[in-house]
Amino acid sequence: MDTMKNAHSKDETPASTGVLAVKVDDLTVAYNYKPVLWDIDLEIPEGVLMAIVGPNGAGKSTLIKAILGILKPIAGSVSIYGKPYHKQRSLVAYVPQKGSVDWDFPTTALDVVMMGTYGSLGWIKRPGVKEKKAALEALEKVGMLAFKSRQISQLSGGQQQRIFLARALVQDASIYFMDEPFQGVDATTEIAIINILKELRKAGKTVIVVHHDLQTVPEYFDWVTFLNVKKIATGPVMDIFNDDNLTKTYGINYKVSVQK
Amino acid sequence: MNSAQFEIQVIASLVAIACAIPGTFLVLRKMAMISDAISHSILPGIVVGFFITQDLNSPWLILLAAFTGVITVALVERIQKTGLVKEDTAIGLVFPALFSIGVIMIAKNANDVHLDVDAVLLGELAFAPFDRLSVGGTDIGPKSLWVIGTILTITIGLLIAFFKELKVSTFDPGLSASLGFSPLIIHYGLMTVSSVTTVGAFDAVGAILVVALMIAPAACAYLLTTDLKKMLGLAVFFGVFSAISGYWVAHWLDASIAGSITTMLGVVFLLIYLFAPSKGLIAVMYRDKQQRIEVSLLTFLLHLKNHSEERERHVNHLNEHINWQKVKSETVLDLALKNNMIVIKKKIVSLTEKGDEFTSQAIDYIITNEDAQIEDMKDDFFLFRG
Repeated sequence: MDTMKNAHSKDETPASTGVLAVKVDDLTVAYNYKPVLWDIDLEIPEGVLMAIVGPNGAGKSTLIKAILGILKPIAGSVSIYGKPYHKQRSLVAYVPQKGSVDWDFPTTALDVVMMGTYGSLGWIKRPGVKEKKAALEALEKVGMLAFKSRQISQLSGGQQQRIFLARALVQDASIYFMDEPFQGVDATTEIAIINILKELRKAGKTVIVVHHDLQTVPEYFDWVTFLNVKKIATGPVMDIFNDDNLTKTYGINYKVSVQK
Repeated sequence: MNSAQFEIQVIASLVAIACAIPGTFLVLRKMAMISDAISHSILPGIVVGFFITQDLNSPWLILLAAFTGVITVALVERIQKTGLVKEDTAIGLVFPALFSIGVIMIAKNANDVHLDVDAVLLGELAFAPFDRLSVGGTDIGPKSLWVIGTILTITIGLLIAFFKELKVSTFDPGLSASLGFSPLIIHYGLMTVSSVTTVGAFDAVGAILVVALMIAPAACAYLLTTDLKKMLGLAVFFGVFSAISGYWVAHWLDASIAGSITTMLGVVFLLIYLFAPSKGLIAVMYRDKQQRIEVSLLTFLLHLKNHSEERERHVNHLNEHINWQKVKSETVLDLALKNNMIVIKKKIVSLTEKGDEFTSQAIDYIITNEDAQIEDMKDDFFLFRG
C-alpha cells in the first residue's frame, strides 16, 4: 500500500490555487474495534468537485463523518485549511444522507433550511429576519420556494434532497460535504443538483460528494477518490478514473468505458 | 370548590405542563420508553435521598434521584453499545433492577421511611395540600406546588433558551454535530430535565402517571399538527385538560385522582386517534376509500381514452368491459360527470376536453413520477397526495 501511496502522491498536488482545503493524516476509524477506515491519507485541493467512490461498506460516509468530527477516530488527524475542524466549522457545510433523518418530524421546508443558519448563530441566539431571508434565497436557488410552507413529509424524495441542498447553501461555506445527494432522486432533480454543485465549484468552493453511479463520475466531477477501507487512489478524474483503480477498489475485474 | 381542591388542580396542571415539554421531545426522538425507565429507576435515588435529607421535597433529594435517572440512561446506552442486545431489551434489564433495589430498601426500612410502594406507583395527589411550606410563620402554599413550580420555571427557561438546539439535534443529529451543537450534550440535558421533572412530579402523581403525562399528551399533539411549536402547545393543553377533568372524574367517582387523570389521558388519546383530521383512523380509512374510487376513475377515463369504438363506450356495457360491479360503475360514472370529465350522448360515453387532459396528465405523472405537473391536481384528488 505504501508504494501505491507514493505512486499517486503527484496526483495529490493541488490543481490551481495550490491551497489544500482538507488534509487527512493517518486516519483510522473503528466500530467496536473493527476498522472501517484504515490509515487514510488524503489531500483535497481547494476548488475541486470531488466524488468519493467505493463499494458498500467501504467507509465513504464514515470518512465524511470523521472529517466533520461526528465520529471520533481512533488514530490520525484532520485539518480544514490548516486548522482542526472545530475551529473551522463556519467554513464547512454538510448534507447527511436523506435517510438519516425522520421526515415525519413536525416542521416545514423553510424551517429545515433555516437550520443551516444555526451554526453561524451559535448557542441560544435565535434566527431572525436576516436568516429567514437567506433561507428563502436558498430555497429559490433549488427551485423550492413554492414549497416553503409544506410539511416535510409531504415532499417527494427529490424535493427533500433539494431542501437538504438548500440548507447547505444557506451556510455559505467554503467546503461542502454531501453524502449521496443523488440517492432516490428523479432525473430532473439530479440535473438540477449537479448544476448547483458545478456553480459552487465555479465560485471557488470545494465540493466533496459520496457518489454511487460510476457512469456519471467523468461527466459530473473533476476529482475522484477511490476508497475501500483503505484509500486506493485520489486525483483528477482524467488521470486516475480507469479500470485499474476501479478493479482495485471493487475487487472484481471492473470495466467501465471512460471517455477522456 | 374549596382551596384544597383548587390547589390539587393547580399542582396537577403544573405537573402536566412540566411533563408535556420534555415528553414532546422524547416522543419525537422515539424514546418514550426511556421515561418509563427513568420513572421507575429513580426510586432507589429517592429512598437514599430520603435517608439523608429526611424530606421528600428537599432539592438535594430531587437532584440525587434525578442523577439516578441519568445513570439509568447511561447504563441503557452502555449495554446497548455492546451490540449484544437491542435498546428495548437494555431498558427492560436496567430499570427493574434499579426499581427492585428501591423496593427492597423501602421494605427493609419500612418503619423509618414515610413511603410505601402504592404511593410510589400512583402518588398521593389528594394529600399534597396537607404538606405545606411556611416562611417566617406565614403559610405560602403546599410544598409540592413550590417544587413543581420551580422545576417548571427552569424547564420553560431551558426550552426557550435551547429551542433551536433541541429542534436541530432531534431532527438531524448529524447536522447538529457538524454545526457544533453536540447531540450528546443536548441528549443528556434533556435526560436531566426529564429526570428532575419525574422526581418532582413523583411525590404528587407517582411513577405510572408521570409516564402517562409525558407520553400521552405529546402523542395526541403529534397526530394533530405538523409544527413543533404547536405540538408543544397542544401537548401542554391536553396534559392540563386531562389533569383537571381527571380530577373531577375522581371527585365524582370517589376514586384515585392519579388513576382518573391517566384514564382521561387514555380517553383523549383514543378520541384523537379516531377523529384526528388527517392522521386519525377514520380520516385514513376515508382517504383509502377515496383513493380506491379515484384509481377506478382513472382506469375508467383511460379506458375511454384508449377506445374510440362506440360499443366499448356504451353505458350499458361498461360493466362488462371494465369488469366492474354495477354499483361501482355508477359511482365512478357519477364522479366523472360531476367533474365534467365525460359527457353522455345517446348512451355513449365520451371524454370531454378536460377529462382528456386530466387523463394524459395523470398518466404522465404515474409514468415519469415528476412532481411539478401534479401540483394543481393535488388539490382535487387524493390519489396524488403523499
